[in-house]
Amino acid sequence: AALERQIRPIYDALDTGSNKSAIVSCNKLLKKQPNNDLLKALKALALVRSQKVEESLMLCDEVLAHRPMDDATLSAMSHVLRGLGRHTDVVKMFEEAFKAQPFNEEYGAQTFFANARIGNWKAAQLVATKMHKQFQEDRYIYWYVIAVMLQANDPATPENMKGLLHKLAHSKLMTSPTPAYVMPDRLYLHLTVLRELGMFDDAQKVLDHETGRNMYNASLVVDELRRELWRLSGRWTQERELAEHRITEKKDRNWLEFLSVLDATFSSVTSSSPVDEDSRAECLERITQARELFNRVAEEDGVKDRSGLLALIELEKRSRHHDFCQDSSELLSLMQKYWHQFGEKMCFFEDIQPYLDLDSDTLSKWTTFLDSVQPSYDTEPNLRRTINWYKTRRYTIPEAQITAELESERASEYTKAYLTGLPLGKSLPETELQPADDLALLAAHAFISSWTAGGGEAQLYNAAVVLEYGLGRSKQSYHMRLLLIQIYRLLGAPSLALEHYRLLHVKQVQNDTLSHLVLARASTFSLAATGDLTYPSECLESSHIYMSNSHETSDFIVRAFTQEKYSQVRFIPDLIALEERLDNSLQRDLVKLEHVRMRITHEPVNSELIDMELIELKFNFDRYHYDNRDIKVFSNYQPRGQKSTFEQTLLFKNLPGSGWLFAFLKIYIRALQHASDVDETVEAKLLIGDRPKQSHEPEIQRPLKERLAHRKQEELDQLTPSELAFYDFATVLGEWLEPHHDHIRPPPSAVLAEASKQTEAKTGRPLQGIDISADLPTNGHAKKDEEAPPVKDAPASIAGFFDDMLARFKQLVEGGALPPELLHVAALTQEALILFTIETLRFKPASIVKIHKLGALVASCKTIRTKAADVLKEMSAELTKISEKEGTQERRKAFVELCKPVQATGQIDHDFVLDVAKRVTDSRKKVLEGVAKGILKVTSVHA
Amino acid sequence: MSVLRPFRATDLFKFNNINLDIWTETYGISFYLNYLSRWPDLCCVQEAPSGRLMGYVLGKAEGSGLEWHGHVTALSVAPEYRRLSLGRKMMGLLEFVSDEVYKGFFVDLYVRCANKVAIKMYEGLGYSVYRRVREYYGSLGLGPGGRDEEDAFDMRKPLSRDPQRRSVRANGRDIVVSANEVS
Repeated sequence: AALERQIRPIYDALDTGSNKSAIVSCNKLLKKQPNNDLLKALKALALVRSQKVEESLMLCDEVLAHRPMDDATLSAMSHVLRGLGRHTDVVKMFEEAFKAQPFNEEYGAQTFFANARIGNWKAAQLVATKMHKQFQEDRYIYWYVIAVMLQANDPATPENMKGLLHKLAHSKLMTSPTPAYVMPDRLYLHLTVLRELGMFDDAQKVLDHETGRNMYNASLVVDELRRELWRLSGRWTQERELAEHRITEKKDRNWLEFLSVLDATFSSVTSSSPVDEDSRAECLERITQARELFNRVAEEDGVKDRSGLLALIELEKRSRHHDFCQDSSELLSLMQKYWHQFGEKMCFFEDIQPYLDLDSDTLSKWTTFLDSVQPSYDTEPNLRRTINWYKTRRYTIPEAQITAELESERASEYTKAYLTGLPLGKSLPETELQPADDLALLAAHAFISSWTAGGGEAQLYNAAVVLEYGLGRSKQSYHMRLLLIQIYRLLGAPSLALEHYRLLHVKQVQNDTLSHLVLARASTFSLAATGDLTYPSECLESSHIYMSNSHETSDFIVRAFTQEKYSQVRFIPDLIALEERLDNSLQRDLVKLEHVRMRITHEPVNSELIDMELIELKFNFDRYHYDNRDIKVFSNYQPRGQKSTFEQTLLFKNLPGSGWLFAFLKIYIRALQHASDVDETVEAKLLIGDRPKQSHEPEIQRPLKERLAHRKQEELDQLTPSELAFYDFATVLGEWLEPHHDHIRPPPSAVLAEASKQTEAKTGRPLQGIDISADLPTNGHAKKDEEAPPVKDAPASIAGFFDDMLARFKQLVEGGALPPELLHVAALTQEALILFTIETLRFKPASIVKIHKLGALVASCKTIRTKAADVLKEMSAELTKISEKEGTQERRKAFVELCKPVQATGQIDHDFVLDVAKRVTDSRKKVLEGVAKGILKVTSVHA
Repeated sequence: MSVLRPFRATDLFKFNNINLDIWTETYGISFYLNYLSRWPDLCCVQEAPSGRLMGYVLGKAEGSGLEWHGHVTALSVAPEYRRLSLGRKMMGLLEFVSDEVYKGFFVDLYVRCANKVAIKMYEGLGYSVYRRVREYYGSLGLGPGGRDEEDAFDMRKPLSRDPQRRSVRANGRDIVVSANEVS
């Protein structure tokens, strides 16, 4: 009890984050009781929380070796181990505790949870079985069943195992003395199992029971499953009747109900093929019924709800698709009716768009109809109608009429319309969006389309001006902001893009879905080499979300088991999906790589950096990635068949995806591997914590070396020509130097001995679990038996790369390319020089050169470095020259001159345009100048 | 037309068009997971047939005794989908579930006193002001709104378990409490 009193303050200190004082208290008590495991565990926890990993690790292993058995120590240890990323050890620890005390229910549960946290469902299932045997509690049946179902869900589980697992789950459920349907909380799980097994009749029995019926009528969650079951089992009549009942009696306007009626209507012709006459006759009858129903709803609802009328349009479309009617006049008249009734709803265009893929005859009738209704601007609803008119009209512009001139003319027309409509929102508060906003967006989209069609950068200037003007009037219009970010990146004004991005107030999970806006290929604009760490910090900040994710979601998974609710059965897989998608987010690893690319421009390239990044990038290389980036948030008002506005405004016309990521991972992993002494044996020994879950693709099983060397077309397709040249450069360079790296790299035993020595210097004790063999030569360099590889001449393409890049650069300058194009080539050339340093670092010490007779190799490296330095200096000088031009009055004047189209009406005046011009050219000047300086700095360090 | 369906954890990847709006706050992941795990039937989204999210509602059930009720924590509709009665529909669902499943006495919600449009909508749905909560919201820094900017109205609507309408009162606007007096 005395100890308890003394330990209390340690817990308090830990709870409040005062790790230092917790350590001090622990040390005091440990002096009196040097063998107290709980104190050691608490100290280890405080240490790991203060980032003192090595010391924590030592204590942690000491406690683990004693096989702790008391609650307090186990609980503290589970936090320590999790902090160290050693989740498998948490499982082991509780497993042993439970084995030693099989009547301790808490230890059983903790073992189950520890497995659940790491998705080890097979082991979790075994624990649940044991617990059910031991404690005879019904709920362990459910733990067991959920674990089995999740194991079946796991992509790593082979197909033929899945059915077996589902059967296992089912038979276990049947052993429960209380049938599922009397317990609402268990009904959902039961139905899920039956669905997987295709036991639809059994499922129906559960649904027919009163509890079941009440539940699907009151809960969207259960109703979702019910609908799926009925659809899967072909209960179309039932599905249709229920939906009709809900639509007519309950006035339910959930579109799902309308879809059910529609799908049921055509079920007789979609479910069998070939379709016989009887089925067609049946379908025809149903069409008539559905039409009656939707007509009734449409009449009843009038302008109150769109569902009825839209369902009629959809019915018409599907009837035509299945050849029940040839005539398009009905569809056309419904669409016209829709225009009259809902043309002033903001979503009119989105609603009608799927029906605009009409044959040319119908299309021309539709266009004639639209042209007969003249847009007007007298009221807000009419303004919205006008906006819809423009959007809809634009969507069907034929391809032949999409030229730079015509699109620019249209953009001017939209701008005019925008300025005409603008006064309607004059009295709205600043927090409100302006009703005319979308016309400004339309104008910007058309300017962009004109640029794509070859209209020159002037079109982008106009787009920027019209959006800046729009944002001035409608401060919260994030659609305008999103597009401006894209445009400013295209124009080479990254600081303005970043400014707008920050005003979006992206936070939490949005970092994963939206940071691509400014971080995709951010190294192009990075000034890190000059000490400006804006982009690297942006990378780190946007990555915080991934840390908090792994901590938080697994807690929720454990919680879901402790609160047994029917919905948890749906929630747990949902949660796992969220965790998986965030943990293995493509954007996460893209940002990581981009960060490495910037980091090496301002930090010294040494063994610490090399080893750390190598291990991390290798983890990323083994992952299966999910692309969570939100592209759909962008509005798109381009004519059909054209690329979307987002695609048209992508920097270098391409969005780095997983192909790009893997190409760059291969470049960097290969180079870092050459430079590092940490080979696979060493890594296995030194790694703290579990390895991240690997992708289950068979490719992962191939040797790393093979995977690194393998080039895939889908990866190359995502590289720009300059990136491809860089990739080729890296490959040839690596092939040339690899034999020498492999020969000189010290053996694993020597590397480990060195690591152990360093740990000893830091913590007072050598590394544990490492056997330092006695036969190490004292000079640290193990003699190798094989002959040193002969030094070959440097392949011509290595130095040639720098010449090629310079030629490319000059060509772009002469062609008047936009700044990002120049920066892209320059940044990659600079990157090549740094990569060269990474690849040749090992050959730097004079002793190495002497021992391994590398004189000739070092000499050719020097020549290459000189070549690189010359090229980079020339690029830097050229960039400086251009940046000076950007800062002049003439440049601003020219910008304003090019923006005549948006100034046509006089409302957007000269001063406003000049201000935008100033900001754009200033931003350009800054980035060009900064990159030029950075290049000189990098050159002086690396060449 | 919109699909009304349960809010899924993975919807966090696609709610930007709703959450980039200034009136909508983006919370940490655990905030959403807490709601989804505890009151899944009080959390739903409206989705366009294209798969684009249109709006969502997050609610919970809380209180003890006669105060047991459904609470609307967040109700938000993307700007491009306003004026379609989506808010009304989601409120309808939340009231239905609070009544049928949770057997609550009333549903309540907080709204900025300055947000006249929303207040009018809620009144139209049968809600009335129960009390005014001082400094419930952080300031948006908008200036002239003053008190109305930071104060909230706690608005309530009685459910079928409260036929006597004991959970509401006529003079609610005059009853002022401080933010730490409410949960």
